[in-house]
Amino acid sequence: MKYAYFPGCSIHASAKEYAMAAKAVNKYLDVELVEIPDWNCCGAIDAVYAYNPLLSVSLAARNLALAQNMKMDIVTLCSACFFTLSRANNLMRENADMKSRVDRAINDAGLKYEGGIKVRHYMDILANDVGFEKIRQQVKMPLKGLKVAPYYGCLIVRPTGIQRFDDPEHPTSMDNVIKALGAEAVNYPDKTSCCGASLVITDEEVMMEMTKHPLLTAKEAQADCIVTPCPMCHFNLEAKQKDIESHFDIELGLPVLYITQLIGLAFGLPPKELGLHRNIVSPNKIFEKLKGQMTQKAS
Amino acid sequence: MKTHSSHNITAQMTDPSFIEEIKKIPGGEKILDCIQCGICAGSCHARFAMDYSPMQILKMAHLGLKQEVLSSSTIWICASCYTCASRCPRGLNIPAIMSGFKNMAMKNNVQAPIALKPKFHKTFTEIIGKYGRMHEPELQMRLLKKTSPGELLHNASLGLRMLRKGKLKLQPSKLDSSTHFSEIYKKASSEEAK
Amino acid sequence: MKEPKIGVYVCHCGGNISDTVDVAKVRENISKLKGVEIAQTYEYMCSKPGQDMIQRDIKEHGLNRAVVASCSPRMHLDTFRGAVKGAGIDFRGAEKKAALNPYLLEMANIREQCSWVHDNKEAATEKATALIRGAVERVKYNEPLEPKTMPVNRDVAVIGGGIAGILASIELADKGYKVYLIERNPSIGGHMAQLSKTFPTLDCSACILTPKMVYVSQHPGIEIIDMAEPIAINGSPGNYELTVRIRPRYVDKEKCISCGECAKVCPVKKWSRHEEDLVQEKCIYLPFKQAVPNAYVIDKDLCLWFNKGVCRVCEKFCKGKAIIFDQKEETRRLNVGAIISCTGYQQLTPDLSKEIFDGWNVFSQYGFGLHPDVVTNLQFERLMLQGLHRPSNGKPPKKVAFVLCVGSRMDKGIQYCCKIGCMNAIKHTLLLLKAFPDADPWVFYTDIRAHGKGYEEFYSKARDHNVKFIRGRVAEVVPNGDNLILRAEDTVLSRQIEETFDMVVLSPALLPNVGTGEISKMMGVDLGPDGFFLERHHKLRPVDTKMEGMYLAGCALGPKDIRETTVETMATASKVATFLGKGEISVSPEKAYIISEKCNACGECIKYCPTKAIESISKGVHINSISCTGCGICVPRCPTDAIDLKQSTDAQLMAQIQGTSEDGSDRPRIIAFLEKTTAYGSADLAGQTRISYTPNVKIISVPSTGRVGLKHVLHAFANGADGIILIEGDDSPFQEDQVREHVNNIKKELSKFGVESLRVVSTTTTLPQYDKVVNLFQTFDDRVTKMGRISPEKRQKIANALAGDK
Repeated sequence: MKYAYFPGCSIHASAKEYAMAAKAVNKYLDVELVEIPDWNCCGAIDAVYAYNPLLSVSLAARNLALAQNMKMDIVTLCSACFFTLSRANNLMRENADMKSRVDRAINDAGLKYEGGIKVRHYMDILANDVGFEKIRQQVKMPLKGLKVAPYYGCLIVRPTGIQRFDDPEHPTSMDNVIKALGAEAVNYPDKTSCCGASLVITDEEVMMEMTKHPLLTAKEAQADCIVTPCPMCHFNLEAKQKDIESHFDIELGLPVLYITQLIGLAFGLPPKELGLHRNIVSPNKIFEKLKGQMTQKAS
Repeated sequence: MKTHSSHNITAQMTDPSFIEEIKKIPGGEKILDCIQCGICAGSCHARFAMDYSPMQILKMAHLGLKQEVLSSSTIWICASCYTCASRCPRGLNIPAIMSGFKNMAMKNNVQAPIALKPKFHKTFTEIIGKYGRMHEPELQMRLLKKTSPGELLHNASLGLRMLRKGKLKLQPSKLDSSTHFSEIYKKASSEEAK
Repeated sequence: MKEPKIGVYVCHCGGNISDTVDVAKVRENISKLKGVEIAQTYEYMCSKPGQDMIQRDIKEHGLNRAVVASCSPRMHLDTFRGAVKGAGIDFRGAEKKAALNPYLLEMANIREQCSWVHDNKEAATEKATALIRGAVERVKYNEPLEPKTMPVNRDVAVIGGGIAGILASIELADKGYKVYLIERNPSIGGHMAQLSKTFPTLDCSACILTPKMVYVSQHPGIEIIDMAEPIAINGSPGNYELTVRIRPRYVDKEKCISCGECAKVCPVKKWSRHEEDLVQEKCIYLPFKQAVPNAYVIDKDLCLWFNKGVCRVCEKFCKGKAIIFDQKEETRRLNVGAIISCTGYQQLTPDLSKEIFDGWNVFSQYGFGLHPDVVTNLQFERLMLQGLHRPSNGKPPKKVAFVLCVGSRMDKGIQYCCKIGCMNAIKHTLLLLKAFPDADPWVFYTDIRAHGKGYEEFYSKARDHNVKFIRGRVAEVVPNGDNLILRAEDTVLSRQIEETFDMVVLSPALLPNVGTGEISKMMGVDLGPDGFFLERHHKLRPVDTKMEGMYLAGCALGPKDIRETTVETMATASKVATFLGKGEISVSPEKAYIISEKCNACGECIKYCPTKAIESISKGVHINSISCTGCGICVPRCPTDAIDLKQSTDAQLMAQIQGTSEDGSDRPRIIAFLEKTTAYGSADLAGQTRISYTPNVKIISVPSTGRVGLKHVLHAFANGADGIILIEGDDSPFQEDQVREHVNNIKKELSKFGVESLRVVSTTTTLPQYDKVVNLFQTFDDRVTKMGRISPEKRQKIANALAGDK
């Protein structure tokens, strides 16, 4: 199954390991992500849109047009890109005024977007195109005993107009992937709380207050780690975890993995291939817990 | 810092054209449908940091209190999490309306409670214009040019953490000129400025 | 047709007409018309001397037709028909002889639609003359007609055995009617049987309901048909045939003594519907203790015998030998005169929510189904009756949150308010405090609706007990171990609330009951935009429907409380009694009829009849004159001109069109066909408010604009008209999109005659929208004036084509 892959800016910087692990596991899932050549920044939710909505939609439309040239639907790894591209896709379809102005902007570059391209998130592909059964079949090292807290965040489950593939209030797709990998999906109240990603640069304290909740309640629910399908959420939960600890004077020490990294571990792939050496909060706890099984694998 | 005023609302304070402006925002057409039930305010994950609740902002918009709305902290703190919109019984796209208010505030040069915010949007957009993709180091530098040493140190420590793990992209991207990215950028930017 | 001898009477109306219209001149002009035997004017035609004048003239001049030019027929048609008919005794004490058949009278509206709306006297006079001329030409083709009387069946069918159906049955049976009370479930009682106490009196619901249920079961005039659903309705008002399908109970009602031995030994458990899935019962069960009929029933879907061919233990232990496993489904045909739908409501459920809100389950954010202590209103009622406790641990609930408006007041899907949620919540807080005085109830609302008698006082009572009312629609309820965390904004204090509760009670939206759509189709009755049955008129006919003989009561019409249901039911019973009371109904003769020699049985007319009054018979079609409402939509559809409409025949209409269009000054002439009730009434309203508009527009009343076909429009153009307006009432069975389609078809044909399609325009209107009507008259007049009058050559061409068509 081939898709036009939109990496997004984070993938080439702070979220490299998400894509590394995705590349590693996709082989086993019959998924091929073909990177859109010369893609540009989607607009990052409101970063460009609040400043200049037309520009934001035009930037996104350029990517939609490039995907249309490839004749494939778009898949993103990043929830924010998923939302931003979806919003542009909908506006192009529902708002005739916006469409004509965007068309004017991109037509000169020889690009045309006639609609009909779907924008999908990688979790959607896992849940619906690959299926939990197939994932389960590829597991070489079931993550028995590992308590994983799935953190969905906002933008893949809630906004209207997106390709909704899971319940907005109580999603289960990641829980099901975790179970298929042999691990235990921890139930905790902040699965879909907002981490405040768009506020990280300008309102750091607000963002930390928001990100604190899933970290705390996941830990209270005895989770060994958190898993997430979004680079922005990952950054807040993980890279900023130390700052949150010192700001609120709490102890967390909770490793945060990308969903692809978790899948890769269960598929028996070497941690380095999954970029686990890049995780800022050490994932050693996880290796400890899985020690018994991992040494078996090694031997 | 609360900008909440203690005196009465008078007709003089209201701008009757505000509602018409809002209706032109994509997603703002239904603004008068709001029944002020408060589910948006109850659901809002960032409510604690706002001077006015999202519900209050919509009410103020109904009354035409343009100045109050555009100078609130609410419109900037909205994180676009869509919890309010997904639960709103009238189907209002509140994040889209908040974006519209941000846009109006910047266009009208209304002082934002946090000066950094309009600067962030402008700078981010300009960097995209330059490279086609984000270049975080440049964004950080341009935004924090005139901030305190404490801030700089704090960000430096995070920066180091990221660098050590290979998570900082020091070189900016460059798009192939054959796809005329910069033309699109220029055209769309100038259109909106009209 | 005998030689017409027409008497024309032009009223001064005390100056209302004569101040503007030169009545003497009009009289003079009209008297010259062929067929007019005598033309008179008088101050007040509707007065006794005026009416006597008509009767005298009929006698002395041998008149066989009459035209009264005065106010709107909506005012005095019956008055003048009475005058012409000559009923009663005159002032001299001499009995008046029946003078003329009342249908041999026509009226011309020269007040509301002429003198009151035109300033220019000369134009008003000319228009009055044209209108009267039209009436004169038309009346030549009037025929004597007699209303029909039909005997009616004095039995009544009530669909739905909840409180509405029960009270309707009792009212009618006490009046002497025989009532079939048809109930889908094994027992009557409906949702009221599930309630603990009612607001605001805190009466015990079962205590006030069950005596009525027993009364119904013992009443010789009421037959309860339980386990039954309607599957078809045929016939006509006063003579309906309702077919019901009766599902087998597998228990003989006569023999069952409700001892319960069968249930004791039944191995299959199921969730009780009556207990709202909180308690289990066996698959052979008694719906509830006070069930009527009081007999057990087997749930076929779960029974081991029906699924696997084993068990039948209940049969062995049944003391009354009442269990019949081979009981079959039955069909019964009931002959009734009237049918009442009391089908009631159902509560919104997660599955229904997903259907209605495009996949959105509104219960999900409140933890319903994720924690046993999140319950619905009806579940709370059952818990009250079981001894109030938390379903999770059986302990008393202390801190309870009542969440209002779950799924209600949305922008689409369910826009309406459930009407009883607020009062129910207030009731529950008081009952909770009665059971546990140290309980802590909180009510989360958007608006407290305490609209009825004693309701505001009831609300005060709750506040006196320090029930906490928080204004804010609840955002979410999150299970947290044993308890529930609720989050909402207190919009009054402008602060978020996060509070822990033992129990959360949800007030879900109320929907039309299962089967409402199917039953409305069977009845031929519309549903409103909210999905409930649609009444005939919001204010003045709230329990009738567009179908004669079909009535509504209770929550079938929309959510409401028990008192309002009772009031409605009394109204419905009264209406039914009026309808059936005389044992016969009088049917207006103004109905469509088939000219069988011309009918080729193509069946086109059947498609268009809004009341299903036409049916196929061998070698043709038959119009049921009772079901027919005389709208005339079928008439122009017939490709062979085989249908006509009494009192609005083609001959009458064509003559009136000609008479109205053919003479006058060189100003443009516009004929406006207005549907006779709402649209015509709207034009009258314009007259009453004395709005001024162009005298170029002359109004002809039609039963419905669907009555007007291409040939009428062409005839108007051929005889001097330059523009045609068609206005339909928005509550007519001829709906807006049908009107548009009909008129577009006419417009398409006009081009063949060289007539611009812009010379025809149509719209729909409500009664009070007279300004819309007047506006249309004015703007269309401007348009037609600009287009200019149609040339005489073109008119001749059209006339030839019409003649050739014959």
